[in-house]
Amino acid sequence: MPPRQTLLASGTQSKMSRPDLPQLVALFAQECRIAFRGATFWSLAAASALVAAWRAATPGTTSAIAAYRAAEVILLGLGVLAIFLAAASAARDRRQRAAELVLAKPQGSSPSLVLLRFAAVWVSLAVISAIALAATSLAQISVSGTAWHPYPYAHALARTLLPVGLAAALGFSLSTIFTTSLASAVAAIYWVIIPLTRPHVATVFDLTLSQHWPFAALLTALLMLLTAAFYARPIRDRGPATAHLGWAVALLLLAASVAAYSVATNGADALLDPDPILSAIAAQSCLADPRAPGFWLPDAHGRLIALSDHTNRPIVLTFWGPAVGESARSLILIRNLAAESRSLGFARIAVCVDRDRAAMQPFIGDAGSDTVMLWDRGRHFGDGTYAGDSPAAVAYDVGELPTTFILDRERRVTGRIIGDASPDRVRAEVTRAIGR
Amino acid sequence: MQVEITGLRKVYPGGVVALKGLDLTIPPGIFGLLGPNGSGKTTLMRILATLLEPTAGNARVGGYDVRTEKASVRELLGYLPEEFGFYPNLTAYEMLDYLALLGRINDPKERQARIEQSLHRVDLDQVTGRRVGTFSSGMKRRLGIAQAILNNPRVLILDEPASGLDPEGRVRLRDLLAELAGDRVVILSTHIVNEVASIAQRLAILRRGQCLFRGRLSDLLEPLKGTTWIIDINEDELSRVRQDFEVTGVFRSATGMQVRVLANAMSHPRGHATEPTLDDAYVALMNRDAAQTDPPCERDAEQDEPA
Repeated sequence: MPPRQTLLASGTQSKMSRPDLPQLVALFAQECRIAFRGATFWSLAAASALVAAWRAATPGTTSAIAAYRAAEVILLGLGVLAIFLAAASAARDRRQRAAELVLAKPQGSSPSLVLLRFAAVWVSLAVISAIALAATSLAQISVSGTAWHPYPYAHALARTLLPVGLAAALGFSLSTIFTTSLASAVAAIYWVIIPLTRPHVATVFDLTLSQHWPFAALLTALLMLLTAAFYARPIRDRGPATAHLGWAVALLLLAASVAAYSVATNGADALLDPDPILSAIAAQSCLADPRAPGFWLPDAHGRLIALSDHTNRPIVLTFWGPAVGESARSLILIRNLAAESRSLGFARIAVCVDRDRAAMQPFIGDAGSDTVMLWDRGRHFGDGTYAGDSPAAVAYDVGELPTTFILDRERRVTGRIIGDASPDRVRAEVTRAIGR
Repeated sequence: MQVEITGLRKVYPGGVVALKGLDLTIPPGIFGLLGPNGSGKTTLMRILATLLEPTAGNARVGGYDVRTEKASVRELLGYLPEEFGFYPNLTAYEMLDYLALLGRINDPKERQARIEQSLHRVDLDQVTGRRVGTFSSGMKRRLGIAQAILNNPRVLILDEPASGLDPEGRVRLRDLLAELAGDRVVILSTHIVNEVASIAQRLAILRRGQCLFRGRLSDLLEPLKGTTWIIDINEDELSRVRQDFEVTGVFRSATGMQVRVLANAMSHPRGHATEPTLDDAYVALMNRDAAQTDPPCERDAEQDEPA
């Protein structure tokens, strides 16, 4: 037998080489071609575009609101589909019986192939998101009658990339490691259940929140590195999925420990870093509603709460400021009134008007746990101009803090109390609102 | 360039023993692996193709260990599995381009030339732009062969390459393999005896993970010379002939039936001597091995397995 050096130098083998950048680029282009071709990609793109556009096609919807609603569709709907799409991509060789052809090639089981495949899926999901946002944009221009602005759409695309990428990584890695779609289905159920039960779950569990982007990026990287390492093993010796359950359980326990630590050190729900863009987008709906100005405002934890979440009952809406002494008294008074007069059945929303969101934290106890505490501090991007720090307060024409509004079941303003509110006055206004 | 296999064992999870300490040296040329279903041919090929880890023993392809030097082995290899598929949405050209990239044929011009040459060799150069999903099973098999020869491999491993090919395709495959052989190692497996006889210079016959024969076809046939006979019989005589002789084949003729048998001397009045074929040798080997081996041989081998 000739020595190895001779073998490598002989014949055509010398033309082959280690993967270089042009080869990786060519391979990535091929992976993208595979991801983009076929009915699945276009069906998903069409469905996402239709749903997103339908949610934006309402008169008065601004670019910011339309983009925010499209982002919701992408994060929830496309996020779930991304899990299955990526799982299908990871199982492609198995499904098409091409695994042995691929794995017998020098680069067939290389980590770079796994990462390129995942990147191609991610790119295809980003393109679907862009198509959905473009459709939303068209719907807004043609139906809403409001000024179109590109910034909210660009922002919506940017803030969906990581969570959707994380969803894809979950599907890709679970499908590769467990070789069953059942694991992806569990991830998909989790992906839907947690955001839908958002008010009752600590935000640390909600992977769709764009505020979690460092965590999402870290988790995505970890999952893909694990998958790449796993993929490099010979195909027939990977053993049954149960052999890896130990690792999965260990990882889950680790994640649960991190979550438990987070809850223990930060309370039930950790304060998230404020996302000023999110607040700005949310506050745009002040301009979109013909009745009492509607809004989406972030609570103390960065979750967006809509006024329209509280329908079919009167609302006592208090604008207050931590620096104004009477504010705290009003909050306590309304809390006591709600406790005494449960039959009135009104909802309490307290909107803090202040630059520092953390300043409202000490007053949460005063307002009572049933009071929805929101933060009205944003910038106005609806028509592209700067319009003030507290758009909800501006929309309600609040000149003085505290100011309490009484809204009836149809969200019409039936009463307005400026300054310190007396229990009798509030009770009378609420009774009047119910009576209408 | 050769393939060396030493004491190769493979026990699958669950205790199924596929290979029981196989020793084999495969020199350049066409080498046939013959054996019934479940004899370990595919397991051996997968181990050589670095897709499967052996339980014990060693295999070296061109001097490289299949266990520890996978990347080097894969660079030398062209491999066609018995069962495979392609991505149906890609065209034949795109599919080969993808596999060529995985084969690290990095230069675009060289890649294009290799793809065109491979497609031409398997007579698919008229359908390069057609999606693979629309191909017949024979065309897919030919495309499989094209991808295996794409990197001009020094060692070509073909698992049942003629399966699904029409007669013309089989002839073309035979010609192609004869052309490719030269100083390359071409290993092809089949359970169809005649396929090997027509093409392979050397062969090994496997059964239940053990090698019953290794060597040239002539070495296999030599001991049977003078012991192979054809008997012309009526249909009623078949069961009696089976009792009296070791039958290796039964054929219908214009006048009745012909039976090929092995015997040191011919006692039947209508028996006449003939030249031994690979079929005769194969059946004789299988019959003798079956007579010598206890049926639950997997269990025996399992007990031998170190803890």
